[in-house]
Amino acid sequence: MSPHAAPTPILPRERGREEARVWSALAQIIDPEMPINLVDLGVVYGVELDGRTVRVRLTFTAMGCPASEMIMGDIRERLLAEPGVDQVVIDVVWDPPWSSSRLTPEGRDVLLAWGLSV
Amino acid sequence: MESSNSAAFDGLLKRGELIESVSEMTPDYLRELKHTLIVSGDTELISAPAYYLAARKAPSVNAFMTGIAIIQDELAHAHIAYHILEELGESQEALIFKRDPKAFRYPYAFDVPLESWTELVVANAMYDQAGFCLLGDIHEQCSYGPWKRGLVKVMAEENFHLRNGRNWSKRISQAGGAAKEELQRAVDWMFPLTVEWFGLPDNLKQHSAQLDYRLKGLTNDQLRQEWLATVVPFMESIGIRVPAHQENSHYALDYPFPSTFDAEQKRWDFNDPCSWDDVLKRWRERGPRNAEMVALFQESFSKFKVQP
Repeated sequence: MSPHAAPTPILPRERGREEARVWSALAQIIDPEMPINLVDLGVVYGVELDGRTVRVRLTFTAMGCPASEMIMGDIRERLLAEPGVDQVVIDVVWDPPWSSSRLTPEGRDVLLAWGLSV
Repeated sequence: MESSNSAAFDGLLKRGELIESVSEMTPDYLRELKHTLIVSGDTELISAPAYYLAARKAPSVNAFMTGIAIIQDELAHAHIAYHILEELGESQEALIFKRDPKAFRYPYAFDVPLESWTELVVANAMYDQAGFCLLGDIHEQCSYGPWKRGLVKVMAEENFHLRNGRNWSKRISQAGGAAKEELQRAVDWMFPLTVEWFGLPDNLKQHSAQLDYRLKGLTNDQLRQEWLATVVPFMESIGIRVPAHQENSHYALDYPFPSTFDAEQKRWDFNDPCSWDDVLKRWRERGPRNAEMVALFQESFSKFKVQP
């Protein structure tokens, strides 16, 4: 899948059951710097299942994101805890670049409540 | 500076209300608030050069970015404290750039240099945990509204520092061999320094105006216990020894407290207990890198000033 596809977060119900499970797992991971999960933050561009391998297309809110290693570590740890997953491959993509327009409405509310203007 | 009468002020405090302006304060409260803010601001500020000298040893570009981001956070946290001090009538410029290094009021631990990435991440796991306990208490209890509100984001950011400390400590311990030995050596000298960070034990501290004025809510020993209850189980869980153990509901130290510390060698002599007077003397004299750390942010201040 090209990194240009699927620029907006896709709701779990629109995916197959297995992929929905991966999206739900990703939605349990909280950003290390802000009280928002990765799906609501809109940094997950896509999820693909290939046998026992999960492929995640991920971006960061800034190229100099100081939490990028932590976030990728959290994703690996969480997805490897899912039954039937042996390998997690993370493709970090920068195109299209992240902007606040990628926040879900829930994510926007959370960040506004936290004091960020989005 | 005007202040209201102390009966009205006592009423505000007793009702648990927040103090919002200088006009509501008594002179004693203002003095104690300033002192507490100076300790907090100085501690955050000095951690920046102290961490910077060690962050240069980061083992990857990403780790270096994390280290630099933590330093940026610490400077921002210092700025919050100094900004409030300015609103209370102090000069930020005088406080930061014109004070003698020995006049800074940060914990002695920062005068002992952090010289490796390992020592930096142990500082994130232990020093930042101490900061987290102290600031968390102020955030919950502080009677001065502007500071209490300013700490909301500080707490979230300190959490990020703790994570960096814990993730890396775990990773270094899992690496084993010389890496784990270096981690153990760092914990050996930094653990007792952080235990000391919380100050005199309660039985020697006769009176705390900070508690009376609800600038903080917990005593030195309560905060020390909170720190031990977090750090001891964590270090044990990653296979690192610490000189303390749990006894029922509290943590006991396995060495005489206080003990003698050789700052140049970064070594404690647990066979040489000392008095708190000795510790206070060591703190007053400051440690080996006090002048160097302060110079790191003071030295260029006047360079680009327009000459009168």
